[in-house]
Amino acid sequence: MKIKRKNRFAKASALAVATGILGLLISAPALTKEPLNDAADFDKLMEAVAYGDQLWHTGESGGPSNLSTNGLGCANCHPDASATQPQSWPKYQTNLGKVGTMREMFNWCMQVVQQGKGFPLDSKEMIAMEAYATYMNRGAVLNPGMNKQTSPVVKSGPGYPTNDEGNR
Amino acid sequence: MENDDKIDTFSDREKISRRDFLGVASKGAAATMIAGVFAPSAGSMVGLGGVAEAKTKSIKPFTFAVMTDGHLYNIKNHRFDGMFMDAVNMINKMRPRPDMVIYCGDIGQTGMEVEIAKGKRMLDKLKMPYKVIPGEHDWYLDMGKAWRGMFGAENWSMDHNGAHIIGMNSIKIDDFWTGPGLTPTERMGRVLELECNSCGPWGVDPEGLDWLEKDVKKVSPGTPIVFFSHSPLWDYYPRWNFATKDAPEIRSILRKFDNVMAVHGHVHQVVFNKIGNISSVGTSSTSWPWPYPPVELPYPEIRHNRLDPGDFADGMGVHHVEVASNGSGMMHYDPFNPSMLPPAVARGVKL
Repeated sequence: MKIKRKNRFAKASALAVATGILGLLISAPALTKEPLNDAADFDKLMEAVAYGDQLWHTGESGGPSNLSTNGLGCANCHPDASATQPQSWPKYQTNLGKVGTMREMFNWCMQVVQQGKGFPLDSKEMIAMEAYATYMNRGAVLNPGMNKQTSPVVKSGPGYPTNDEGNR
Repeated sequence: MENDDKIDTFSDREKISRRDFLGVASKGAAATMIAGVFAPSAGSMVGLGGVAEAKTKSIKPFTFAVMTDGHLYNIKNHRFDGMFMDAVNMINKMRPRPDMVIYCGDIGQTGMEVEIAKGKRMLDKLKMPYKVIPGEHDWYLDMGKAWRGMFGAENWSMDHNGAHIIGMNSIKIDDFWTGPGLTPTERMGRVLELECNSCGPWGVDPEGLDWLEKDVKKVSPGTPIVFFSHSPLWDYYPRWNFATKDAPEIRSILRKFDNVMAVHGHVHQVVFNKIGNISSVGTSSTSWPWPYPPVELPYPEIRHNRLDPGDFADGMGVHHVEVASNGSGMMHYDPFNPSMLPPAVARGVKL
């Protein structure tokens, strides 16, 4: 069994390498002309972070029923995206009853604590909230399974670069 | 952010030292001042207890209860209503029965009169007298109009069994709303975010300091002081307003007393600090717990355990403080779910 599986793996690997080389030959000129990440790309991330921040703080005073129907927003319990620990996911989470992701935990909070519907895991909203929580906790060392509360250090403003005055 | 105000900053000590030297009116004040000024660490305050206990006048022991931060919404049958009522019922069942109950602010969430009135209806079911101080969530929709209509003066004091009890409005923010033309709802919307970065710090303001100075002028230094404010009297984490901007001045005014037991709301957590003659202790809410901020706790053993977000009552509860005949206090957390307390806290926190 082991040998067969190894052979299958070897064949698949060879195919992948061949496809990869072919892909590189086709796309290589584009890669050398443009950097993988530029300032505009970072701005796009900050737009997502700002949208996540907005959603994070919306439920406190109303907002879409996906988030909350009882007035509670994410920020009620998680100011500055504290106690989200993006560095600790995926992990076994008792409330989820399985090894899950931070996005699944967001939905658990929205559905159970905030009594809302939650968002599809691949939705723009879910990605924005993940972007916000992750960016706020940037620099934390990856530590899947960590079971400890952490809070990010935020010096000023909302905690990320914005085009406006940075005031909510 | 570094927490460099675990004990008096050097400039604080300078201010206090000058003031106390000018106003050394009693042996108690002198003893307190020396410990406060020259003892650089909280640990070395242990000696102060002996001095304070020797000088403090004997009082008739009593107990008071504390509940706070209900954050009630104008939503029918909200679970915070139930937890608020559970807190009232727990206090009513306390034996010996507390002489009084103090509510440390944030009855409402969005400052609406109906939210505060809902809280008052439940507080009225307490079987003992109660006093209330405001929190920012009670205040910034109508600048305290509804709150004052229901509870009266925002700064108050009383004498009880030989102790002097003070409650103050510590959430006065400089006007940040007129410039940008914010509506009352927008103003409240900003303030209700803990990490509001456009609101600025808050405090009791110069008029509060004047009021306090006059209030304690004739109170003898040996009188035990119980002081209530929504926010802590030290720079715990200013970004979340876990601080009171004029706390150094407040501490300076109270420096003449042998023992000041300061109890605050706002932080929704177990936390403690001791600065000179002042013990400052945080309280659990009846709504939700706040995470610990990214600073080192001055007394790391006095905190709550990790909480279960699936247990809506975990991290919440009420409190009672026993004030002994020697003027010292013992703070007891009475949580809805006792598992939140490590043994060091479950035994009680000396004030």
